[in-house]
Amino acid sequence: MEGLIQVIVQIWLIYTVIGIVFSMLFFKFGLVTVDESAENTTWKFKLLISPGMLIFWPLFALKWKRSGS
Amino acid sequence: MGVNYKAVQWNRQKKNYDVVLWMIIGGIVLLFSSLQLVIHPEITAETLIIRTSALTAFVLLHLILMIGPLARLDTRFLPLLYNRRHLGVSMFLIALIHGAFSIIQFHALGDVNPIVSVFTSNPNYQSISEFPFQILGFIALLILFLMAATSHDFWLKNLSPEIWKGLHMGVYLAYGLVIAHVATGALQYENHPVYWGILFVGFTAVATLHIFASIKENKVLTALKTNAVNEGFVEVLNVESIPISGAKAVFIHNQNIAIFRYLNRISAVHNVCKHQMGPLGEGEIVDGCITCPWHGYQYIPENGRAPEPFIEKLHTYSVKVIDGKVWVNPTPKPEGTYVEPAILEQQ
Ligand code: HEM
Ligand code: FES
Repeated sequence: MEGLIQVIVQIWLIYTVIGIVFSMLFFKFGLVTVDESAENTTWKFKLLISPGMLIFWPLFALKWKRSGS
Repeated sequence: MGVNYKAVQWNRQKKNYDVVLWMIIGGIVLLFSSLQLVIHPEITAETLIIRTSALTAFVLLHLILMIGPLARLDTRFLPLLYNRRHLGVSMFLIALIHGAFSIIQFHALGDVNPIVSVFTSNPNYQSISEFPFQILGFIALLILFLMAATSHDFWLKNLSPEIWKGLHMGVYLAYGLVIAHVATGALQYENHPVYWGILFVGFTAVATLHIFASIKENKVLTALKTNAVNEGFVEVLNVESIPISGAKAVFIHNQNIAIFRYLNRISAVHNVCKHQMGPLGEGEIVDGCITCPWHGYQYIPENGRAPEPFIEKLHTYSVKVIDGKVWVNPTPKPEGTYVEPAILEQQ
């Protein structure tokens, strides 16, 4: 039990770290291609959506890829 | 297209809402911390923070759950709904203080990862009185996090309204978990009946309000539907099944009708183009006009007229939207008659 939970928490941690790196790249290069309403938005807006990014980043990786860049 | 996102679309009402909200939160915090200090004068600062934040978040969660049904029961409560998002996020942040301090206090001193410790430090999963209630709190906090983190309009759009709504229905799951967290945790050692009484009253208030609101809503819906039937309307399809800026065709009472959805509105016209009988319902709304998929003839959805200087006119039909369903009156109006579009509720 303890081993399993340890593994899950580790995976979650790695997932989150990838999410942080991804978000930084995505905010710079991908956000506006995926959602044009995010054009000219402030860092405050990006900060506000970043916690959710750490959960949903694979969705945006997919959208980014589909938008063809 | 559209308006660019703002971090927060502040306006005077939202500011006032938040000022009042934080005055209330301040009041609750003050009340609970002084109560704790009176009942347990020897309490440590950590415990005081853990309990005060827990109780404050708990009260706010009740408020959040009661606002929805209250506003449905009586429109005077509608202002409470206005910035419920900030209420939700504030509640999450306060619950986070509680969770974080609990983890630091009880789970961060060993050499096990504190989060792993939440799940493993107490293996009494079979017991009720010693159940690892922290896990219930932890899962509730995760759900509240998901909701707070996705509260911006950006998420409504990018997760799709259906998924977003589903996610935010998670508040009921979180509420159940929190009730269980309190019942199997704090109430096992603060075993005074008064605490059970408070828990029960809170839960009953939330449940009763929901029941009354749904009874009222059902009554209103039944009345609306009876009215619609009496006026000759027929229920035809789900609003959601019509693509945005697109249409669905229906065939009822020998009428071939195209139902269009655009700009949060619904309009219905005869499904046959005046040019060469093209199926308008397979077309789209372009520049605000129904546009025939065959050769591009255009019509204004509200009155079925081709824009000036053209002169084609279609039959129009009365429409209503009740509870997410489109109702249409299959008696055609004379060609080119203006019909008030049905307005869809905003999310
Ligand atoms: C990581 C998540 C959580 C952990 C580890 C946790 C842990 C605890 C602990 C250890 C206590 C007993 C505190 C004491 O009486 O000394 C407690 C009580 C309580 N918790 Fe949580 N909790 C978590 C999440 C939540 C959430 C999300 C809520 C919802 C608002 C909540 C509401 C409460 C309430 C109302 C109490 C009773 C307060 C009291 O003792 O007077 N908890 N929790
Ligand atoms: S049939 Fe509609 S434009 Fe030709």
